[in-house]
Amino acid sequence: MTGTLIRTVRKRTAAVPTTDGARLHATVEGAEDAPVTVVLAHGWTLSQAAWDDVAGLLADRVADGALRLVRYDQRGHGRSTWSSPTHPESGLSIDRLGADLAGVLDQLVPTGPVVLGGHSMGGMTIMCLSATRPELFGDRVRGVALVSTSAGDLASDPRSAGGRMARIRPGVLTAALTGAGLLERLRGLVPPTHPRHRTVVRDLLYGADATDEMVLEGARIMHASSLRAFIEFLPALGDHDKRTQLDALTRVPVEIFVGDSDKLTPERHSAHLAEALPAARLHRVERTGHMLPQERPELVVDGVLRLVAGATGRDVA
Amino acid sequence: MTSTTRTHATPSPGAGAAAPREVRVAVIGSGFAGLAMGITLRQRGETDFVLLERAEDVGGTWRDNTYPGAACDVQSHLYSYSFAPNPDWPRSYSEQPEIQAYLQATADRYGVRAHCVFGAEVTAARWDDDARRWQVWTTAGEFRAQVLVSAAGALADPTYPDIPGLDTFEGTVMHSARWDSSHDVSGRKVAVIGTGASAVQIVPAIQPQVESIAVYQRTPAWVIPRTDHPVKPWARRLYRLVPGLQRALRGVLYASREFLVIGLAKRRAFLKPVGRLARAHLHRQVRDPRLRAALTPDYTIGCKRILISNDWFPAVSAPNAELVTAGIAEIRPRSIVTRDGVERPTDTLVLATGFHVTDLPIAERIRGRDARALAEVWAGGMVSNRSTTVAGFPNLFLLVGPNVGVGHTSMVYMIESQVAYVDDALRTMAAEGLAVLETTPRAQEAYRELIARKSQGTVWLGGGCASWYLDEHGHNTTLWPDFTFRFRKLTRALDRENYVGIPAGAPVREQGEAA
Ligand SMILES: Cc1cc2nc3c(=O)[nH]c(=O)nc-3n(C[C@H](O)[C@H](O)[C@H](O)COP(=O)(O)OP(=O)(O)OC[C@H]3O[C@@H](n4cnc5c(N)ncnc54)[C@H](O)[C@@H]3O)c2cc1C
Repeated sequence: MTGTLIRTVRKRTAAVPTTDGARLHATVEGAEDAPVTVVLAHGWTLSQAAWDDVAGLLADRVADGALRLVRYDQRGHGRSTWSSPTHPESGLSIDRLGADLAGVLDQLVPTGPVVLGGHSMGGMTIMCLSATRPELFGDRVRGVALVSTSAGDLASDPRSAGGRMARIRPGVLTAALTGAGLLERLRGLVPPTHPRHRTVVRDLLYGADATDEMVLEGARIMHASSLRAFIEFLPALGDHDKRTQLDALTRVPVEIFVGDSDKLTPERHSAHLAEALPAARLHRVERTGHMLPQERPELVVDGVLRLVAGATGRDVA
Repeated sequence: MTSTTRTHATPSPGAGAAAPREVRVAVIGSGFAGLAMGITLRQRGETDFVLLERAEDVGGTWRDNTYPGAACDVQSHLYSYSFAPNPDWPRSYSEQPEIQAYLQATADRYGVRAHCVFGAEVTAARWDDDARRWQVWTTAGEFRAQVLVSAAGALADPTYPDIPGLDTFEGTVMHSARWDSSHDVSGRKVAVIGTGASAVQIVPAIQPQVESIAVYQRTPAWVIPRTDHPVKPWARRLYRLVPGLQRALRGVLYASREFLVIGLAKRRAFLKPVGRLARAHLHRQVRDPRLRAALTPDYTIGCKRILISNDWFPAVSAPNAELVTAGIAEIRPRSIVTRDGVERPTDTLVLATGFHVTDLPIAERIRGRDARALAEVWAGGMVSNRSTTVAGFPNLFLLVGPNVGVGHTSMVYMIESQVAYVDDALRTMAAEGLAVLETTPRAQEAYRELIARKSQGTVWLGGGCASWYLDEHGHNTTLWPDFTFRFRKLTRALDRENYVGIPAGAPVREQGEAA
């Protein structure tokens, strides 16, 4: 009955419930008995689709059974919901995202070695996990890729776009949230295909080598995320500070990637991470912006595969 | 509410051993159409008739479609018999249990349940030219009838997809119209094949309970909002006190839906606002651009049935849902494999794959004067006179046969039109003392041309889609392609000039010229 197909990749969709009533949309690809699982956490106002290029390059390894790939949408992003109304989102923090990641691991990867990859806010998510669940690192988590991210102090950089945004006053945000419906409609007037829209996105997030297709794709992913995700997480990003709580990450191989044109989390954030994690490998990538997983997926994949090899003790690349 | 009266044919010791039961009229089926026919027969004083029903209850569609979320897509005030208004509809679009209860209650109230022979599947029917009667074989014995009315339904026989490995699947498989309520879907890995009218009701109903749900889509459908709401108790009281009010409401609903025909069948431009409505609905409910694209049809709205739902899009974009557009390559014992090589673990398979519509199974079982089956006569496409009679099949009337289908309004309106036509035919036969009434090939040809002409320029032919409305030759043989009041006008009275009648007592050989 097995027809002409040479090989197949198992794929399933899972809704991971969180302790406060949110449901996280996760995609699990590859054999359940694969020797290692790679779990990828995306950034602010993106979704798991931001990892598509990386996932595409990993597809062969996944199909071969060398690794299993888990991607998920952070709460309030993509298909994942917010917490239930009976659990008011009191002071949403990046720590909450760390707990979400712990939930994803507990439910989808209860056993076996894990390699974590986090882009931007996804990287911060991993740092939060390492601070609250240090016991996982070394034993379960065998490697971490931190891409275009920061351990904290985003607001102090007066000239960076991230710094400017982090200093938007809370009152402004509350007002924006109240008018979110209207703002959403206004946002609809400048769709990602609009040249102006793309120019803004390119200037803020991409390096010199990014193609128009890349920018459009990224703009589409961001356009799909809600204004609420933008507004609710903005203060949380400003408050994120794990600079003194990175101990658990010293126990595992870490690969750090940053683009030299990153305006949201400029190089110095990654340099600081590399200082705090002396064993980590820091990759400074030229002519590359904040959307490094999309701009240089092959570099990220190389890093991930090095971590995978380390995690399983064999070379899968 | 359900009376226990049941007329089973006298059990026969061996097949065909018992003498056939003689009736004046035999009706196949006891859905909306069969019951309407039975009620009309009783009202004209006819008691010598049976409703042959293969199942164990009346209701047809509404007995069989018990899947979670099953409800009608036309407001209940309109999707009900004109002669039996129900002031107690609980919602504007009632759900299956209420509609089924309504049909059961109506069957009882009009005394037709006593005429039902349940467990009587018609396996064959043949016109006996010498006896001038229909011979009908059923799983509950043999019947002989002067007149045969087929009300076997156009959406009554499920189609199963032809997918390699379907028979090897080890989990639970159910067709939407054969739902197994003993199978609890909660916590299951469910696959739904099909994204038609049934799927858009099932998926939102079960998505919150299941572990995961993969919806396999071949063609997306246009979906517009559903303005469903509970009917307030005071409104129900009012309908009871002022029956005219409900009738007026029915009229308003009927008229407003009939406006759609202008767009569907006359001026395509009139569909534009409907298309915009559907597009806005999709945009409002689905943010993800890729999902949105996958859910956007590439054909003109109306070409396939327009679906109504407020929770279909949210359900397919739920955290545990996935819309799969890669075609299915094969089914394995515990998974489904798509052509892109992705294998999704599955333990429950829901086939929302529709019905035999252009190849009605009953047509294979009914044989006319020259012993040819209706299906053979229809091999080149279903033909009829006024959707109801077929040359070569004397004293046979088809309800919900060719070209009576409507997607924009209530089928009951069409059914009642046809029943009135059959009623007038029976009245004519009685008045003229006719034993046999048969339409002519010429009338059939004229009707075929009429339908073809009306179908020209409709969205069903020109909308750029392949729908179940069209037969394998691309002809519209299922839909009524005009305002429904035009069909009613056409079937108000028997078009006597299009029929050949043979008086009772006339020598048997004479009918030769009718052939
Ligand atoms: C899920 C669903 C939703 C629908 N919603 C709407 C709606 O909102 N509005 C609308 O206008 N229409 C709707 N329809 C169409 C619906 O089918 C018709 O409105 C109407 O119910 C048809 O009635 P019927 O009596 O012609 O056929 P059916 O209700 O199908 O009845 C046919 C009967 O004949 C019996 N039968 C078949 N073959 C044999 C045989 N060989 N021997 C003995 N008995 C036999 C069957 O068991 C059945 O009881 C819907 C259909 C489905 C499937």
